[in-house]
Amino acid sequence: MGVADSAIEARIDHALVARVLLGDDRRAFEQLLRRHQGMVRAQLRRLLHGDEATADDLAQETFLLAWRKLDQFRGEARFSTWLYRIAYSCFLQACRKRSLRGGDMDNGEVEQLPALHHTIDLQMDVERAMRRLSAAEQMVLLHCVQLGLSHDETAYVLTMPLGTVKTHATRGKAKLKVWLAAWHQTADEERTP
Amino acid sequence: MNHSYDDAIEALLRKQFDGPLPDDGFSEHVMQRLPPRRRRVAWPLWAGFLVGSGTCWLSLLFSPLLQDGWRDWVDGDLSVSTITLLVAMTGMSLLAGWWSMTEADDR
Repeated sequence: MGVADSAIEARIDHALVARVLLGDDRRAFEQLLRRHQGMVRAQLRRLLHGDEATADDLAQETFLLAWRKLDQFRGEARFSTWLYRIAYSCFLQACRKRSLRGGDMDNGEVEQLPALHHTIDLQMDVERAMRRLSAAEQMVLLHCVQLGLSHDETAYVLTMPLGTVKTHATRGKAKLKVWLAAWHQTADEERTP
Repeated sequence: MNHSYDDAIEALLRKQFDGPLPDDGFSEHVMQRLPPRRRRVAWPLWAGFLVGSGTCWLSLLFSPLLQDGWRDWVDGDLSVSTITLLVAMTGMSLLAGWWSMTEADDR
């Protein structure tokens, strides 16, 4: 999405928020919900490693909280970023309650995954490589790269200092680069006649 | 890190991400559970402000502290009344500043 499109989207969101706050307009909130549910649910599904039921429960909690706290949205961040932040805090709360969060796998090792060579499914390898990253690196790459947030927005969502976000992004990508090197070599070989 | 390599990793990650999920009745489900909006009522704040101001005014009305303090301050005399008045004003300013900052943080 271009900068202009993003600005238009943000303006639409702000107008809808204003309609909810001023006129108690449930239809405006429904529009906000329909516009953002897809990405918020995708974010939570990623955070929960594909647990669809829990992700949807947390997404519902996120939107109910957004409805209750909408007057606290001041428009400093994009509405979607504000929602991601609520969703992330719901996720953290659920983790604390139910110890859902997987073990932090960051043991400092940077090595190639043994089974990565010549496996058939690249998607599966990327998935596996992502899971080998530390929890913080996974969160940062999910928000920065996959959800398309800026470093500043990621720092806002994850309530992390900007420098830490940048460090995790660089480290995460460096690890993936090593772990997924086999794919690059294969791709290079395929490119060479 | 090499930028093209960085881009390749990012492209791989983006490709692996499925993107926004279809609604499949999710929005309708949430809308059915939406409680009525609670409007933030302003009257307790204003009632507290009026009661507080009234109490302050009544307690200072018959006390010479305010008049003495003000008179000494105008005369440039740093008396006990003046210092008390200054300390009270500073305290209230700090309290108001702290409250404003807390409110701003919450938002």
